[in-house]
Amino acid sequence: MRAFLRSAAYRIAFVYSAAFALAIALLGLIVFWAMHLAFERQLEGVLRDEASSLVLEYRSDGPSELRGAIAEREAMRSSNALFYALFSPDGRRIAGSLRTDRPDTGFRTITFIDPREGPDRALAYAVNLSDGSTLVVAADREQLEQIDKTVLAMFGAGFAAIIVLGLAGALLLGSYLRRRLGAISGAAEAIVIGDISKRVPIGSRGDEFDRLGGSLNAMLDRIAGLVGNLRQVSSDIAHDLRTPLARLRNQLEAGLREGAADTAQQEVIRNAILRVDEVLSLFAAILRISEVESGAVRLGFQNVDLSDLVRDLAESYAPAVSDDGGSLRWTVEPGILIDGDRELLAQATINLIENAQRHTPPGTAIQVTLSRRNGGARLLVADDGPGVPAADRERIVQRFTRLEGSRSTPGYGLGLNLVAAIARLHGARLAFGDNAPGLVVTLEFPGVAA
Amino acid sequence: MQILLAEDDSETAEFVARGLDELGHTISVVSSGVDALHFASTEHCDVVILDRMLPAMDGIAVLRRLRAARIDTPVLLLTALGRIEDRVEGLEAGADDYLVKPFAFSELAARINALGRRRPMTELQTEIEVGPLAMDLLKREVRRSGRAIPLQPREFRLLEELMRNADRVVTRTMLLEGVWGFHFDPQTNIVETHMSRLRAKLNEGGAEDLIETVRGVGYRMRCP
Repeated sequence: MRAFLRSAAYRIAFVYSAAFALAIALLGLIVFWAMHLAFERQLEGVLRDEASSLVLEYRSDGPSELRGAIAEREAMRSSNALFYALFSPDGRRIAGSLRTDRPDTGFRTITFIDPREGPDRALAYAVNLSDGSTLVVAADREQLEQIDKTVLAMFGAGFAAIIVLGLAGALLLGSYLRRRLGAISGAAEAIVIGDISKRVPIGSRGDEFDRLGGSLNAMLDRIAGLVGNLRQVSSDIAHDLRTPLARLRNQLEAGLREGAADTAQQEVIRNAILRVDEVLSLFAAILRISEVESGAVRLGFQNVDLSDLVRDLAESYAPAVSDDGGSLRWTVEPGILIDGDRELLAQATINLIENAQRHTPPGTAIQVTLSRRNGGARLLVADDGPGVPAADRERIVQRFTRLEGSRSTPGYGLGLNLVAAIARLHGARLAFGDNAPGLVVTLEFPGVAA
Repeated sequence: MQILLAEDDSETAEFVARGLDELGHTISVVSSGVDALHFASTEHCDVVILDRMLPAMDGIAVLRRLRAARIDTPVLLLTALGRIEDRVEGLEAGADDYLVKPFAFSELAARINALGRRRPMTELQTEIEVGPLAMDLLKREVRRSGRAIPLQPREFRLLEELMRNADRVVTRTMLLEGVWGFHFDPQTNIVETHMSRLRAKLNEGGAEDLIETVRGVGYRMRCP
């Protein structure tokens, strides 16, 4: 129900059908009232005509004939016919069977004693005659009430049907709106997790949603073009600078081979080569990130035994960690398979282990845990080092981010950026948490699509 | 060694040719795919260095034709494209090794040495001996002058690579590829760490160090 209330689509549909139902109710009320009045006028006409015909009889033939006429009409009346009464000037009923007190002249609603049903309501028309007596003609209101009741019942049933139809319509309309909007937000979410090629599906009708989708897609194309340019420019720079740097390195190497055996000079050249290598590997890292971000690698995805991979890497890195005075332990659930690129998954795991090793003081214990999780896999790399303040955890995946404490350690702040790119490529969630003490990095991979 | 270099960029070609010449190899340079195919199928070569992008016929096509003609001269593919799928395509076409431009000359030289001296029957070899070291590939045992040396699986694979390439330089990247299966540089000291542990085990008791570090390039197993 809360979901219904939160959904603007359902809210709009419900408000619309409620307004429609209200309008129908108002219209029904007006029609009912007009009909009711018309029937009452008709009844009044009947009473007035009957009274005038009796008055005519009285005028031509006198009071005794009037009484006779009343008796005659009552005798032949059918069940739904009129009631009559003639009151003497002192208020006594002297003719007719209408058992009631003398009403005032004109139209009145009176209560009378129905011989079959007891007290009942009737519409009465009273006229004063020239001898001071009062003639009353009345009609049972029951007929009128019956009509009112029938009309109300019919109207009520119709209204209920309208409410049900309106509700069903609102649900249909609401879910339709939600489906159309859902297609748009689905595309947006896919783009957020890194699939920048995703577009809003567009139907063939060319309606408002299709037009909105079309303009969003045009906007996305434009953004993708700009992002692509930016990516292209940065990797072009890295790529283009690699060639002259490699030539520089080769010339230094040639110098080393051909140069004199002056060890001091050779030392300088060797150091220069190492510096060039550092820059080359930085460029290689930038190019690698842009390759991963482009998503092209996804085409070569295969089933990877993540358990084997993680165990293997942990085994490989444990000696390096213990040589540095720390320790690396691992708990790996066997046989966990995911769709991915084996080398990139290895790279991500290595980067996480190395981060835990590099940015912590000697003696830090690192724990690597791989387990099944929601049909997928969860990789935890935890350490008991100083950890990362909550405020910095979002920042550390950005390119070239190096926190205060790690300025002196080697690296360019690209490691976690690459891990994040690899995570996005695999649809995995990367999170940083507090290991109390220390940092725990979580990589949660979705399950293999059947 | 007789080496064919198919490279259309004259600067790279000249630089590589000069370097290999200094190392005592005989180099023939061609600059188109058609010439490369013709030369490789008519003349004897120990190693072919094939640029992926060549005029007239690209490197991959040349490689496929050579393999289709049952010419199995070792081929090292050079490419400006470092993408994963390009490497896979190159290896599937029958390349024996793959090097991304720009490369360090020492890396190329080490790989050519490894390719050129690759003995055909290596897969069936069950024992390797280098100097005082004996490696049993079936029992996964290593002995130095008869004394057994217990090694971790990675250390064993590392030593195997060095012994198979005895007296030749094995680069860090070759070891990452051969031992760990990484075709990328994880920017880590994993090779160095394993190497120092391996050396410590091999040299236990003050024996002579059999592994030589070639600075900035890699390692070499000394052949007495």
